[in-house]
Amino acid sequence: MLAYTLFAGILFGLYFSLVGLGLNLVFGVMRIVNLAHGDFLMLGAYLAFWLYTLSEVNPVAVIPLAFALFVLIGLPLYYILVPRLLAANDPEMLSIILFFGLSQVIEALAGIVFGRSERSIPGGELGRALAGFVNLFPGAKMESGPVEIFGQTFPAAWVVAGLASLLAVLCLYVYLYRTRLGALTRAVMADREEALSTGIDTHRVSAIAFAIGIALAAIGGVFAPFMLGSITPAMGVEATVTSFAVIVIGSLGNPLGTVLGGIVYGVSYMLMQSYLSSWANLLPYLLLIAILLVRPSGLLGRQVRLA
Amino acid sequence: MFSARFLRDAALVVVPVVAIMAVLPSFYSNHLLLFNFVVFLTLAQGVNILYGFTGYLPFGYVGFFGAGAYGFSVAVLHLKAPPLAALVAAGAAACALGLVLAPLLRLSGAYFSIANLAASLAVLQIISNPNLEDITRGPYGISLSGVFNPTLAYGMALAVLAATLLFVAYLRSSNFGLALQAIRENLFSASMAGIDVVRARMIAWLACALVAGFTGGVFAWYVSVFFPETVFGAEFSIFAIVFALFGGTSTLLGPIVGVVILYGVYNVIGVSAPQYFQLIYGFLIMALVLFLPNGLTSLLQRRGIDVP
Amino acid sequence: MKGRMIGAFAGLAGLAAGGFATATALRAQEAPTDIKIGTLYASSGRYASISMPVHYGLKLWIDQKNAEGGMYVKAYDKKLPIKLVAYDDQSNTATAATLYNQLITQDKVDLLVADSGSVLTSVAVPIARDRKMFLFDQTGTGAAFFTKDNPYIALMSDPASTIWPKPLADFLSYDGPNLGIKRVAILYATNEFTGTQANAVKKFLKDAGDKVEIVFDQGVPTETSNYTVLINNIRAANPDAVLHLGYAPNDIAFLRNLQDNGIKFKMLFCIYPGLETELLEKNVGEKGLQYVYTYVPASEIKYDVNFGMNLDQFKDAWKKKYTDGKVEFGFNSVAGYTTGLVMEKAMSVATSMDQLEIRRAVFSLSGNLKTLDGTFALDETGGQTGELMPLGQLVPDKDGHIHFVSLYPHENANGKPVYPRP
Repeated sequence: MLAYTLFAGILFGLYFSLVGLGLNLVFGVMRIVNLAHGDFLMLGAYLAFWLYTLSEVNPVAVIPLAFALFVLIGLPLYYILVPRLLAANDPEMLSIILFFGLSQVIEALAGIVFGRSERSIPGGELGRALAGFVNLFPGAKMESGPVEIFGQTFPAAWVVAGLASLLAVLCLYVYLYRTRLGALTRAVMADREEALSTGIDTHRVSAIAFAIGIALAAIGGVFAPFMLGSITPAMGVEATVTSFAVIVIGSLGNPLGTVLGGIVYGVSYMLMQSYLSSWANLLPYLLLIAILLVRPSGLLGRQVRLA
Repeated sequence: MFSARFLRDAALVVVPVVAIMAVLPSFYSNHLLLFNFVVFLTLAQGVNILYGFTGYLPFGYVGFFGAGAYGFSVAVLHLKAPPLAALVAAGAAACALGLVLAPLLRLSGAYFSIANLAASLAVLQIISNPNLEDITRGPYGISLSGVFNPTLAYGMALAVLAATLLFVAYLRSSNFGLALQAIRENLFSASMAGIDVVRARMIAWLACALVAGFTGGVFAWYVSVFFPETVFGAEFSIFAIVFALFGGTSTLLGPIVGVVILYGVYNVIGVSAPQYFQLIYGFLIMALVLFLPNGLTSLLQRRGIDVP
Repeated sequence: MKGRMIGAFAGLAGLAAGGFATATALRAQEAPTDIKIGTLYASSGRYASISMPVHYGLKLWIDQKNAEGGMYVKAYDKKLPIKLVAYDDQSNTATAATLYNQLITQDKVDLLVADSGSVLTSVAVPIARDRKMFLFDQTGTGAAFFTKDNPYIALMSDPASTIWPKPLADFLSYDGPNLGIKRVAILYATNEFTGTQANAVKKFLKDAGDKVEIVFDQGVPTETSNYTVLINNIRAANPDAVLHLGYAPNDIAFLRNLQDNGIKFKMLFCIYPGLETELLEKNVGEKGLQYVYTYVPASEIKYDVNFGMNLDQFKDAWKKKYTDGKVEFGFNSVAGYTTGLVMEKAMSVATSMDQLEIRRAVFSLSGNLKTLDGTFALDETGGQTGELMPLGQLVPDKDGHIHFVSLYPHENANGKPVYPRP
């Protein structure tokens, strides 16, 4: 029971790293609190749902599409919202309100378009994708269905989501640490004013980071129908709060921190669910507060968050 | 003993507002709407105390409100306290929570807000846990029909509002309030100037908690049947913050104007175009931040007018 | 300047308050032009998915009556068209409280109908009582609502949570041991609705003399959306029967996680496969619902009705009216329609529009009114004791399509339980 719980926690946590990854980037670069993060995740989930009901598009195939689409949405959205916001007195605080408003708008529109009831995609779809992928290799033979790891059986969806999460982290890491634009992004992350004074087009860098951030949320959303039971337009709020727990536990700016945050969150959540189930939802909040107070820079962080 | 500014604020704002809210029930029969106006007038000033004077944005403000509601209910149900005594318990519960959460004040900016939000959700999870059924009734909800008295509850809500407004007026005119604002502007020069930063913030923090606790207590008294989700609804925090910011913080009048206009609009939309409620309200909030980030009163202040 | 500002403020306050005062303040002494029914619904937020089907069910009844020229009102001895005043509370209780009061004090509705579910109903209870308005409680089953000192409430369409699971518990106690069911696992979501049901099950099992043993008993937060680890733990307890008591999203997640992990319990009970079969089928698939035990709701049993449409007629009417499929047909839609039928029947016997007379009329229907929701029966506090749902099982036919088989109580049974599930 303990071993199963721990494994499940790690896989589950990997998925939540993906959920929090984009938020980390947006907060790290712009110091704005994107309370609509979970709503972009919800939109990604509905995109996958819509394409599946329309013509049975496998959710794995939706991932690149979701990424491209939400980058295209994110860029203009940045220029509409953020420059005005950053010009205000206290942008960090005001961003909470601004993006709360945006979250309401997105939820309302999704409700009008998709209705309010629960929706989902058949659970076997990701298993089929995984089996199809594995069987591409010569000699490999895999049935679609639950996956066995170290003698424990897990849903195929968890494995696919976990792999997708690792891949996303890897890509983001390469972007931040191996490309010129990524280096500029890190410069803005470290000190916006200084980056500006050295001639970096901070708005361009930030706009791209913002677009990538919400596109990552949308990718996380593609897996939501499999990881979170079902989807509704109102699901965004909880996804946002969980994302905050994950990125605060990890650390800001560093995508590896988010992975660690996700795993710590996943494992401790599953342990609670196993042994003290009715208190399970209390834990993420307590962890978030405790980490902020005891190790304000996050488990992997350097920056200081104290007043 | 009182400065001229305090007396002016009290005479021009506090007395008329309280008087208007006191007589309106005789002319308008949806008393619950008026009660909710009083609740939000008070909560918006509570946010004002903290945000307007220290720069901390309490995104989980409802935690204190809910703690107050449950403090009130537990006192009534278990201690058989009369409502007025139970209100003291409501304030005490919120203050106790404020003390527990005081370390959050070490955090800055968004970290404080997020931690505060998490704290309010944690309190909800604790109170609604079925293992605490004997104390809080867990998820099964509170029924206070024995002490139901909307008239008196409305009166007490007004008293809490009056006290809160007077406290804000005091902050605006006293050395203590100036000290707080100095801290907000520049922490280091304020502490260099001999201001006890930790103590000053703590007082503002507890005052802000106390306001929400009392308000939660009268809310519990007035609605009398409720579930944990009712008194820990995130809307309370968000509304109070949006109203305060819309009007303009660190003024006495700003949050009042914010509540009257925005909560008024909210109710008009709710009655006239309910199907687009959430959409319209979301857009309204976004427009507020983008086009009026410093609040309505800033339009006057920019013209050099000293807004009460 | 300051004086002007204060004046402006006072004006604003007056404006805001005045905006809500509706022009029609006085009720006509003679027969009015219509009967006003006031209600709330939640088009957004966490209760939207349970609120909208109920509201649509009620609206269907209203449109039907109006197409027939209105509802017969005995107090005026004539048919009157129904005017619906409905506001959106967005799942927000503070807003709901204001709007309930708006319905009573400003719109001066004749009949007050609560929103769906206990949380949004709760705030209406003290308001209705204070304003001496009889509250037509649609699906708010909260035990705290029904007290002997409050005559202004009755539950229309759901049994009270405290007696609801009796057929389930009695099946386990009396039929279970013969089938080989000895060990029972209970997993419930810790909210008022399913928490009360879990407590009631345990109480009924105890009252029956502990004929089965509870080997797993845990509550999880209602927001829980992933059950894989819990399912693994339940399996480790080796139960003969698993009772999962949660809201629709909980059931969807639980059933999907079972499928994803390829786990089959010998007996599995869930609430919503019965209550919202269409919604669950959409989310879990027919295969995932095979052999699941559930309540057999009024949307599945063809009760003999003595008033209103029967089930087939209602289902046809629903499909015709709501073609976009955004709100599923299910138990909740029946609940909203049932509320309408109770109001219609009560209006046909109430001799005046006095709220206590309306209460008397509603209570006089107890035991006599048979709708598509079953027999309407109230206890003295207004709690629903009729409309009790039998326990049943979703059994596949040879094409794999599932259908309900009613199992307990035996007088309603039309089949035998399939245990253990294949």
